[in-house]
Parts: sequence; C-alpha cells; structure tokens
Amino acid sequence: MASLVPCPHCGARPKEEFTVKGAAQVRPAPDTDKKSWVDYVYLRENPRGRYEEFWHHTSGCRRWLVVIRDTATHEIESSCDAAFAGQTDART
Amino acid sequence: MSDFRPTFRPALGAKTAITSAEVKLSALPEGAIVQVLAPPGEQDVASFLSGLGKGGVRTFSPGQWLIVGDEPMTQEDMKTLFETLEPRATGVDQSAGRARIRIDGKQAGRVLSKGTALDLSADAFPVGRSATTLIGHIAAHITRIDSDSFELIVLRGFAESLWDDLTRMSAEYR
Amino acid sequence: MTSYRLATGGLIDRQTPLSFSFDGKRMLGFEGDSLASALLANGQLLVGRSFKYHRPRGILTAGTAEPNALMTIGQGGRTEPNTRATMQELYQGLEARSQSRWPSLEFDVGALNSLFSPFLGAGFYYKTFMWPAAFWEKIYEPFIRKAAGLGKASYEADPDSYDKCWAHCDLLVIGSGPAGLAAALSAGRSGARVVLVDEHSAAGGSLLSETATIGGASASQFVAETVAELASLSNVQILTRTTAFGWYDGNVFGAVERVQKHVLDPLPAVPVERLWRVVSKRAILASGAEERPLVFGGNDIPGVMMATAMRTYLNRYGVAPGKHVAIFTTNDSGYALARDLESAGVNLVAVIDGRPDAGFRYSGRARVIKGAYVSDAHGRKALSSISVWKNGSVETLKADALAMSGGFSPIIHLACHRGAKPVWSDEQAGFLAPTGLNGFELAGAVNTNSGIAACLADGAARGAACVEALGFTASVATFATVEGDIVAPPAKPIWKIPGIKGKAFVDYQNDVHRKDLALAVREGYGHVELAKRYTTNGMATDQGKLSNVNAIGLLAEARGVSPAEIGTTTFRPFYTPVSFGALAGGHFGHHFQPVRESPLHDWAKKQSAVFIDTGLWYRSSWFPRNSETNWRESVDREVLNVRANAGLCDVSTLGKIEVCGNDAAEFLNRVYSNGFLKLPIGKARYGLMLREDGFIYDDGTTSRLEEHRFFMTTTTAYAAGVMTHLEFCAQALWPDLDVRLASVTDQWAQMSVAGPKSRRILQPIVDDDISNAAFPFLAAKEVSLFGGQLQGRLFRISFSGELAYELAVPAGYGESVADAIMEAGNPHGIQPYGVEALSVLRVEKGHVTHSEINGTVIPADLGFEKMVSQTKPDFIGKAMLNREGLTAEDRPRLVGVVPLDPKASFRTGSHILAKDAAATLENDQGYVTSIAYSPHVGSTIGLALVRHGPERHGEEVVVWNGLCGEFTAARLCNPVFVDPQNEKLHV
Repeated sequence: MASLVPCPHCGARPKEEFTVKGAAQVRPAPDTDKKSWVDYVYLRENPRGRYEEFWHHTSGCRRWLVVIRDTATHEIESSCDAAFAGQTDART
Repeated sequence: MSDFRPTFRPALGAKTAITSAEVKLSALPEGAIVQVLAPPGEQDVASFLSGLGKGGVRTFSPGQWLIVGDEPMTQEDMKTLFETLEPRATGVDQSAGRARIRIDGKQAGRVLSKGTALDLSADAFPVGRSATTLIGHIAAHITRIDSDSFELIVLRGFAESLWDDLTRMSAEYR
Repeated sequence: MTSYRLATGGLIDRQTPLSFSFDGKRMLGFEGDSLASALLANGQLLVGRSFKYHRPRGILTAGTAEPNALMTIGQGGRTEPNTRATMQELYQGLEARSQSRWPSLEFDVGALNSLFSPFLGAGFYYKTFMWPAAFWEKIYEPFIRKAAGLGKASYEADPDSYDKCWAHCDLLVIGSGPAGLAAALSAGRSGARVVLVDEHSAAGGSLLSETATIGGASASQFVAETVAELASLSNVQILTRTTAFGWYDGNVFGAVERVQKHVLDPLPAVPVERLWRVVSKRAILASGAEERPLVFGGNDIPGVMMATAMRTYLNRYGVAPGKHVAIFTTNDSGYALARDLESAGVNLVAVIDGRPDAGFRYSGRARVIKGAYVSDAHGRKALSSISVWKNGSVETLKADALAMSGGFSPIIHLACHRGAKPVWSDEQAGFLAPTGLNGFELAGAVNTNSGIAACLADGAARGAACVEALGFTASVATFATVEGDIVAPPAKPIWKIPGIKGKAFVDYQNDVHRKDLALAVREGYGHVELAKRYTTNGMATDQGKLSNVNAIGLLAEARGVSPAEIGTTTFRPFYTPVSFGALAGGHFGHHFQPVRESPLHDWAKKQSAVFIDTGLWYRSSWFPRNSETNWRESVDREVLNVRANAGLCDVSTLGKIEVCGNDAAEFLNRVYSNGFLKLPIGKARYGLMLREDGFIYDDGTTSRLEEHRFFMTTTTAYAAGVMTHLEFCAQALWPDLDVRLASVTDQWAQMSVAGPKSRRILQPIVDDDISNAAFPFLAAKEVSLFGGQLQGRLFRISFSGELAYELAVPAGYGESVADAIMEAGNPHGIQPYGVEALSVLRVEKGHVTHSEINGTVIPADLGFEKMVSQTKPDFIGKAMLNREGLTAEDRPRLVGVVPLDPKASFRTGSHILAKDAAATLENDQGYVTSIAYSPHVGSTIGLALVRHGPERHGEEVVVWNGLCGEFTAARLCNPVFVDPQNEKLHV
C-alpha cells in the first residue's frame, strides 16, 4: 500500500519514487584480485536485520542514496547521499 | 530554403484551459527553461543565478537549478547566458524538453494531493519552494508560485498525459 | 409503520420515509436507517442462508463485524456483492438481494446439507473429495462452486469513478467514539493538524446508541456539539464513512472513504470511493471493543443477536428486536440493554446471567436468573424459545429475540499490522495490542477502558500527549459528568457452555461450530494457524472478527492450555474488504498509464503511420500507401526506397544525455569499453557500454560538441536505465569526478534522413556545408537551418548502412522541419519509414540491437573485440571480461543466416543444428536472434549467435524450431548483407 523512504534532500517520499539497486558495496580497485571482483559482482549477504543498500530517488532529485534498513521490520535507520556516504555531512 | 518559415508547435497547444471558481488549469507559454548544473561543492549558485535576472530560479536537485521565463531566449542570448555561467556552472537548454502547466485555485492543492505524496500545506511547502515528485505515474517538478498557485514542469513527451490526468483529478471541483 | 418500529426515539427522521426493496419485496424505512435496521423494522428477520449448511440466518450485529447479513446491492455494473446490511446506509430506491440461497431464501435446496451435516465437518473437503482424481474437475469442484460461495460479482463494467489521494497530519485519530472525539478535541485545540476518521455515516461511535447523559445532555447531543467544535477548527479534518484499513511502514495509514455509496445515482464527476494514504506523525487507535458471541446450541437462529447490537437498534434506530426478549450475558453490560428495553416498553422475559456470584443489582421488573446459561435456542426461521440450563436442570422460556454478551475484545487489528503480536491478558480476558508501537497509541475501550467517562478521559489525555510530543502546547480536554452509564468490568470468559443439544456456532460466516474445533485438535490441527485452515474459522470477508477469540478459547480448552499459549493468527491489512476500484483509483482506461508522444507524433499521423507501443512511447511502425493491404508491402517499399532514394524516420525516442563538466571525457572513458578521451570536437563515436559482469549493457553514439560537452545517445529501450546507470557511476562510484548529466531526450526532435539522396535533400535546408569533404562520416556539430532561422544539431551517422544524417531540432519545431524535409525531398523520392523498415535495414547491414545484446553477449561475440580498450586502467566491466567463460573459444558469435531456398523462411529464436545432426540439446549450435525479409537479398535473412560462427561462413546448417516442428535448410554467412566494405557510408 504505502511506505516512505527518507531522502536526505527531499524528505520522506513513497517508495514508488525510488529504485533499489541492492547491497551498498564498495567497488574494488580495477587491479584487485579476481575473487574480490566475483564477490562484488555476484555474492550478497542476505541478513535478517540491518542492511545497507543503494537507492535512487528516480522520480525526485535523482540522487543515489545509501539507505540503511532493517529487512525484517522495514524500519529505516538512516539515508544519506551516496557521494557522501563515508562522510558525516550529507550534501543538501 | 531560407524562404521557409519553421513554425513552432507548443506541446499543449491542443488543450483547452480549464477555468472554474475552485480550480484553474492552464498551459504556460513555452519560453525558456535552462538547466543549470554546478560542479560538486560549488557554493551559493542560487543567489548568483537570481542576480543574473534571466528569469525565475527554481531549485531542481542538489547542485542543479532551472531558470524559467515566459519569453523564448534567442540563440545568442542563450550562448551569452551559458558563457556567463562558466566556470561556476554549465547551462543546458531544456526550453523545448519541458512543458509548464499552471494550476490555481482553492482546490489546486487537493487536486495535486491525489497524485503526489508531497505535503503541500503552506507551512511544509511555502511559496517559492520546489520539489520533483511523482504525480500519479508521471514525475513532475512542482513549485508553489503563490498561496493557491503551483507551476508544474514536466517532460514534454509526458505533458499531454499529465494534463489529461490533471483534468480528471480536478473534475470533482469544477 | 410496523409493530417493530417504536413510535418515538432514535436518531432516525420519521418525516422522511425511504422506499427500498429486499429480494423484490417493497419496504419502507426512514432517513437515518441502516439497511439492517430497516429490515428489522419491517420484521425481516431472515436475511440470508449460511455458507455450508444453508441454515437460515438473521442480523447478528449492528456494525462492521457482521458475518450473516451479507447482501448484493445495486444493479448492472454497480452490483456490489457481500455488502454488510449493517454498514449500508438506507437510501431511496435501494435494491438489496440475499445471497447463498437457491432457489429462494425461504425455500433453499442446499439446506439439505444440514441433514448430511455429520459428514460435512471440518476437513470434509480434504477427506471426501480426494478420489477418484478424475472426479475433481468434473463433479466435485462444479458442485462445490455452485453450492458454496458468497455473492457474485458482475461482469459489467463499473460505471463509477474512483480516486486516490494523500493526506498529511500531526495526529490521525481512528474512531470517533468517546475516546476518539476526546483525543481529537485535545489535539485539535492545540492547533495541531488532526485527521479524524470513522467508518460509520456519522461521528459518535457507541455514543449514538447510548441513553446515558453527559452534563445533562443526551449523548448524541454531546456528539453534535463536539463535532461542531471540531468542524470549526481549520486544522481538523473529519472523514466519516471512512475505514482505516491498514497501518503501513513509516506511519502511513490506508483508509477508504465511501463518498457516494449511500446514494442511488452518484454524481458522475465525484468519485464513489476515495482511497486515502494518510501520512501521520502520530496516530491514536480508538477503535473500541467487539462484543463476543456466546457459543450455545442454535445461537445462529434469526432472532439471536449481540446485546450491543440490540441496544443500537433500540436506541439509535428506534427498532424493537422482538415482542418477548431474553438476554444472556456474562457481564454487567447486559443490564444496560435490559434497562433500555424495559423503558422502551418491550417485554423482557428474563436476564440469564452466567455468573452465580454476579454482584450487579438490577432494578428493573424482569426476572434475573444467575448462574444459568442458555444451552439451546429453538426455532427454524425465527427464534421461538430458549432452554435455560441451571445446575443440570433445564427450563424452557418462550422468546422471539435473544441478546447475548460474552464480554468484549479490544479491536486491535491495526496495531498488529506491522508484525507485532497481540498479548493475552487473563485479567482483561482478551488479547491486547502489543506495546511499544512507535508513534501509534491506543485510547478508550481498545486500551481496556470501560465506560464513557473513562474513555473520554483516556482519549483526551492521549490526544494531548501525542501533540505535546510533537512540540504543541496542549491541554487535556475535560468533560461534564456522565450519568446513567453502566460500567462493566471485564467478563470472565465462558468458552464451554453445559447442556448443549444443537449446533453451537463459533464462526457464523464459515459455518464452523464448536465440535469442528475439537475435531481439529483431535486430528492434530490444534495450532491456531492450522486450525484456521482446517476448519476455515476466521476466513472470508469478516476474517473472524466475532469468532476468533472464541475459537482460540475453545482450542485452548481442548488442548488444556491458556489462550496465551494458543496465540492469534496473523493480522494483516485489509481490516475490511476494499474494492479493486478504490485500489486502482483513476488509473484505468485512458489514464491506466501515461503515453509518451514523440514531437513528430502528429507529423507521423499526417503521414498515416501505424503506431506500435514501445514502452510508454508510440513509435511509427510503417506508413501504408493507398494500394497496400499488407504490412510487408509497405515495409518492403520503404526499405527499397531508402536504398534507392531517401527516407525520413523519427528517431526522437532514442535516449539523449548531455555529459558535461571538466571530467566529462574521463567519465565517458570509464563507462564505455572503448576509448573516448581523444574523441575530437565535432566528431561522433559508436560506444559500447558494459555491465560490471562484462556483458554488454547498451550501445549508442556519443559526440563531442565542445571540450567539456558531449551528447550521448542510447537505445530507446534503455534510455532511462542508462541515465540511472550514469548517475550511479558519477555519484556513487566516482564522486570526485566533475561530471554533470542532463537528460535532453525530450528537448530534441531527431530525424534520420537516410539514403543516397539524403545530402541533396538536406543541403538546401542546412546553411552549413555538408559535403563529404566538409562534413564526413561521423561528423557532428551544431548547424544553422533555413538561413539562420533555427539552430539544430547534425550528425553523420547511419544505422541503415546508407549515406545518412541525423538532424536534431528543438522539439517544438520538429513537425515543421519534418514537413520541410519531406517537401525538399519530394523531387528526390523521399518517403517516411518506420521502425519495421528500420529493423530490416539494420539486419541487412548486420547492425545489432537488444535482440543481440541480450545480456549474454560480450563485445567479442559481436565482433567488437577492438572496442575493448587494452590500455585503459579501468572501465565498467573490465575486471570481469577475462573470466574463463568469457574467453572460451566456442562462445556463440554473430553470424548471418539465409535459407537455401529463397522462398523458405525461419523464425527468431530458432536453433541452429549442423547439417545432419539430430535435433537434440547436445547438438545445439546457437540460435537466431533477429530475422527480416530482405527485399535487397530477396529472401528471409537472419542474424544468429552460433558457436565458431565467424569461421563457418558458407556452411550449410539446419534452422530448427522445436516449438513448431520446423526444419529449414540454411547457410551461415557474413552478417553484413549490404555493402560489406562500407563504401556507401563515405560517399
């Protein structure tokens, strides 16, 4: 029916405005060993609980976000702009 | 073929404006829309843009703005504007890529709330505020231009569908 | 009107009679009646047949939990089955029909099932209809389908409109009984934005059925004054006829408003139902409590009714339930009904109180029998007498109506919708809502308060607390003294009543009786979720609103454990059924999904295009000319004309993206597998975009217009995906790069002008020199048109293999410029061509699309190995391209295929077999990805991905279509059927 995803730029919006890409992993450096690449491209954790994912605010600001959500309760812990995922201050 | 006169055809040219006491729907002139894109970290571009006096400035996305005006911009004016923007920002001409719709009236907010989850109350979305959101199935950029007036900017290819949807959504208030 | 309607009292308007019909019988009710109250007033006790045994059934409740009085309302496309008569407002001209009966309500053949009922117990279908298997489809299922089921939907289209909308508030209050009204008042006075919803036609809840007074005024007068104050506050919105049906993530509530379900002829411009999604910072559930039935023999005979329902019919609707009424209760609330019945002048036969030690002192005239039970009710289509069991001896009392009250269960459904489980309370004798619901509070009876004063106080306090938590300054609303309210402490539940002879129903709607539950336990289905499926208790439209707690109690007793150990089944939305119309809202017909129209759409229409859906776009498929009757005739002509003269094709739907910024070239270099750093200004380049797993994602041309401004095109299908992908790369992977992306797909009308005469046609339109020397293959630049009247962008690129240009002009000028090109091209034989001809031209030229780029191919499979840079340190897909599987020798590779017999043909998707090989999976050599009839070659031609394909040109093979059993002798060949030396591109 409805659920809301908080966008750090636009506020809470319905999930229909977003596209989810899956686990927010760090892309390996190009010369990293093959196993790391296979892990990055194919292998995913499937936790019951806290999960970091890339979400795109497709029908809004079109920014990529890192959304931390609980897969069991759907509770969203935080969301921040993917460009600033490692930093404390999200660009607004 | 310099004797040929290319004619301009507005995206919503075939639509008749809706005028009623509670809600009005009209296509805004296809003047100029310039998408302004700043590099990461560039500060205070909005006030710089407002200072240029080239049209209304709308927040579009982090680091991006729209300059909108009712009058078309000549190729030379557009080029000059782009040069003025550099190096702080890049301009991209979207004058033909977007259509603008204006919706006014006491029920304008209620009509839009049939499509968008945006809180359009005056406190949450005051005059001058902009946001891109889904209106039903169509993404559109909404700006509150007056207490009971909103400007919608939509991809040209979706303009007629959005217009038809708004017509349906406003039917009960006419 | 009838002897059941009282002369005075109630909230009905006796000056406004309403005529309606039930099963064709004309009846009269009053404004303010529900369909159920009007039926009762007309003495219509029998309103339906039960689901399985086809037993006569009457009206049991006065509200949302009604399991029996389900009716079909309306005619034609407005037919609405399973309407609860208790929730349906009466209107002039209403037509109601009973369900689950054949041939008539009075005489029902299915009632014979009752005689066979020993064979129809729980699990009956599972046990009986198992064999022979062939009987299932032909005999058992049709029989069950005819005999069972509730109302029938109409096949006619619904003529009404529906809508959806969003609302935002600080506090949503669900339910407008005493607690809800008080909560809304406290919160509303603070200035907070409040939405108050109630599923009934008027606010007030249980207060509308009360005879108690508040500050000397009647309860209904108190409601009217409170609602008037709330309505005067601009920050408060009251939605009646609105059921909050679900609690969702992020404190969003779903609710459905029945805007025009209480009128015969809805206004066409106004929706009949509106689906609300309410985003609330805080919410209060003030849903009240549901009275539990008592499980005794014949507790389903028409005339047996819930005690609160009987009180509602009496006090709110002015309907006497019978002439000789008995009450069977386990708690003090039954005495409120007793008092009200006696003061209305109805003969009260007796109050049977299950508690031997009941302390309540009843001051009325009626006889009170304590420590007794009604063990059986008697009668066929109407109640005639009851058996009262006390200490082993049975007394029979004559009665035509019996009220029952087994205590109250809080209505906690919504509080459980997000997964938290209810908690059993021995003290409250019921399941309570889980605690710690973030932002969702309970108030009133659902919060275990009993009595009007307690509910008012609880609601007022919680309403104030909720908005204070949000930063508002609120004071707790206070109310005048309540008088005449009987406050009932929680009832000790009585699951098992002694001395029962007849069938004692637990779930009325599903015809589940107490022995079914005992059987489920005996047969190993005692777990609450299993018992539900085995017995069907708690299924169908009411989802066990009345029955679940009794069923859990009986299961607990049969298993010898506490109800706490049994637990409940899972509460899920929707609380009550929601129509598909409301869920679809306005998105049907023309508004089902948006249409994207190309700026050349009307030009194409003028050229009599046949359109085809491509995603949301409509693209021109072909352009029939007068004598042509078959699409192939048109397409062949268009193809030949492009090769001989020139054609104009609308390619505006291609994705177009401007890539700007100081690092734009570096960015492109990383997202394409081939190099872009050195692309000169004024040049276009074909680019391959890979996925991170090494397979090709999309292709297109990108042109460098300025040092830091590129113009990228994508395929139509992947336009949105590529933009999203580029944004991901720019924002998430390489945020340190200065790259700025703008989608300009809609900005440009883009036309492909292709064919040997295209230059001659375009040169008079384009002011710049477009000769081969000045504007060679892959040139790209801004050009001036019509003597400087217009600026456009011109690209010398070709999908057809002919000399060709793509001209982009601002979308609003597209139609006009296309007209001009057609006019200029007329002497040269220009014709429009559509995507079908475009597809033939590209297959003839061996150009790939997403038919070939199907997620399984890497650049080398298509002969693009040179487009994979060996020198770039990084690009998307680089790391994974060197995997064993992707470097294998025998990967299927692109090849052409033609039938040996030019009249023969084959289909896309067919497989390639070696000439004499058997048609087996092991012998599969690859498959055909695209086919076309090539008027240039004079036969069907195809592109295929075949093992060692490029080394097998000239080999005879068989094209095998296993689905249709087709074998076509064919030859593998060069996939470029036209101009393999690319001479035409450079003329």
